[in-house]
Amino acid sequence: MSVTADQFHGDPDDSTAPPTAGVVEVTVAVESDLLVLARLAASTVAARSSFDIEEIEDLRLAVDELCLSVLQGRRVGRLRLRFDGTPDEIEVWCRYDGGDEPADDGFGADEDTDGLSGRILDALVDEHGPVFGDGWHGSRLCKRRVARDG
Amino acid sequence: MEQAFGVSEGTRDGTSIVTVSGEVDVATAPAVRDCLDQVIERDAGVVVVDLTGVTFIDSTGLGVLIGARKRCADEGRDVRVVVAEPRILKVFEITGLTELFTIRPSLDLALAA
Repeated sequence: MSVTADQFHGDPDDSTAPPTAGVVEVTVAVESDLLVLARLAASTVAARSSFDIEEIEDLRLAVDELCLSVLQGRRVGRLRLRFDGTPDEIEVWCRYDGGDEPADDGFGADEDTDGLSGRILDALVDEHGPVFGDGWHGSRLCKRRVARDG
Repeated sequence: MEQAFGVSEGTRDGTSIVTVSGEVDVATAPAVRDCLDQVIERDAGVVVVDLTGVTFIDSTGLGVLIGARKRCADEGRDVRVVVAEPRILKVFEITGLTELFTIRPSLDLALAA
């Protein structure tokens, strides 16, 4: 099943919301060394969806770049990720919750890496782009599994 | 098992070598930048960045390499990169950075370039 922006907009602390089969949600504090958890979730969901090794690596990097594109150097708040995996495609929503402003130095990167992120996402996924809700912003990507015989 | 992140520097035949291993991302790229800054400031000539042991690199890691290249280019110096892992080379290819850097599959070939 796919997730709509309205569903994703829901309160992440609402523990009464029913779980959805095939959907994995990860919430991490905005700390640079926690992005590894987003990558780990990406590779786990991709493996469960029977993506091959190259597709798993592609999704791992794409999710990392998706998070960076949402954070834009912010250092306070939290990132909420939602992975919706099927045998044919994986859709990932990444939402920033917090009031911090973008930082120019982007966790100490030397160069403006937005262009690099865009090129990486263009090459690795089928769709990507920003999403906006009431008081929050984020990004979404979709990667389809390459059809294979057998 | 994933290789742990590490960055170190040394020289061979007078050429500065920065060796990086593990995952280069937003958390670890600043350490790579600090090491490169130190080497570029202290030494003269070519800088070789050996990424043979790198298992993951994202745009922040690439940004650090681009920054180092710019600083060296301002002084007429070259930055060469060693990439042996196909999935790391793929990141350079899709970002167009194979046109910007001299990339070789081994340290020996990078030193000889």
